[in-house]
Amino acid sequence: MQWAIAIASFLASAVEFVEAFTIVLVVGITINWRSSLLGAFAAAATLAVIIATLGVALVKWVPINDFRLVVGIILVLFGLKWLKKAILRYSGLKALHDEEAIFEETMAEIRARGETVAPRFQPFGVALSYKSVLLEGLEVAFIVITFGSSVTTTSGNGIASAAIGAIVAGILVIAAGAIIRAPLTRVPENTLKFIVGIMLTSFGTFWAAEGFGFEWPLSDAFIPIIVVIYLIASYGLVTWLKWYKQRDLALVNTNNTSLQAAEQEEVHP
Amino acid sequence: MKAIKAIYNFIVGDMIILVGVIVAIAILALTNTISALAPLRVATGYIFIAVVIGVLTATLYREARGKR
Repeated sequence: MQWAIAIASFLASAVEFVEAFTIVLVVGITINWRSSLLGAFAAAATLAVIIATLGVALVKWVPINDFRLVVGIILVLFGLKWLKKAILRYSGLKALHDEEAIFEETMAEIRARGETVAPRFQPFGVALSYKSVLLEGLEVAFIVITFGSSVTTTSGNGIASAAIGAIVAGILVIAAGAIIRAPLTRVPENTLKFIVGIMLTSFGTFWAAEGFGFEWPLSDAFIPIIVVIYLIASYGLVTWLKWYKQRDLALVNTNNTSLQAAEQEEVHP
Repeated sequence: MKAIKAIYNFIVGDMIILVGVIVAIAILALTNTISALAPLRVATGYIFIAVVIGVLTATLYREARGKR
């Protein structure tokens, strides 16, 4: 057992597992756990097949930067779509929880008919979970292979030590996620969708830029900074849209008052 | 055509977001291939962040105007 390799692999893999698990978690809470877990398990199976067939050659054959770019762009597109809806709801330009109300109404109708409904697979949720786990899983595989094969082994197998570090990191991250899952379900729906939008856009931005070969300062630790940048921008946009709505309402009121005054004048000159 | 529209709605469903992100990627691809634009390569990530915020602002502005 090579402890230095195992610890380095543990730390690097933990970061990747946290990134993948964040998306699996938010998809599970906001869409449903069936779709989220199906995506995650399908990605794990794909990874197993890729690793089993390519093995150490994986580092050589999978163009990780191209993969990061494609996944990054798709995540930015998904993220912006969610973020836009959440911002419109916060600013009052779109009704809050309208989709939830429709869903609850439909569920009540179905229950009234005495039928039961199992949560359906949502392709959007499955795809999000799948892509994130596959990309992060590939990165973990890269870490294990590159860290493991970088040491000349006299006191053990480097890849086995790196793999042990990565497996322990994965187990710890999943256990921590299971603990925080319950409190997260009490967060309001629009807030969760807003957080998902921010997270997807942030991860997407990070990976897309990396796909172009850009090296972020502080590496993966720059992701929280991107999150803060998007949070500040979103706060500014919500404030602006609220002001915009208020100004429009004031204009409409002024127009109505002058119209009524003109009508009164016509009736009673 | 229906399939293309379904994929479009599934992934993004907003033309401003789609075109904005494609333009951003095109700009970044140009900075990474044209040597005259090489000095911009160090700012790839920050340019992308700025464009993403710009795209979000543009699509929200259109929605706000549409509600008038």
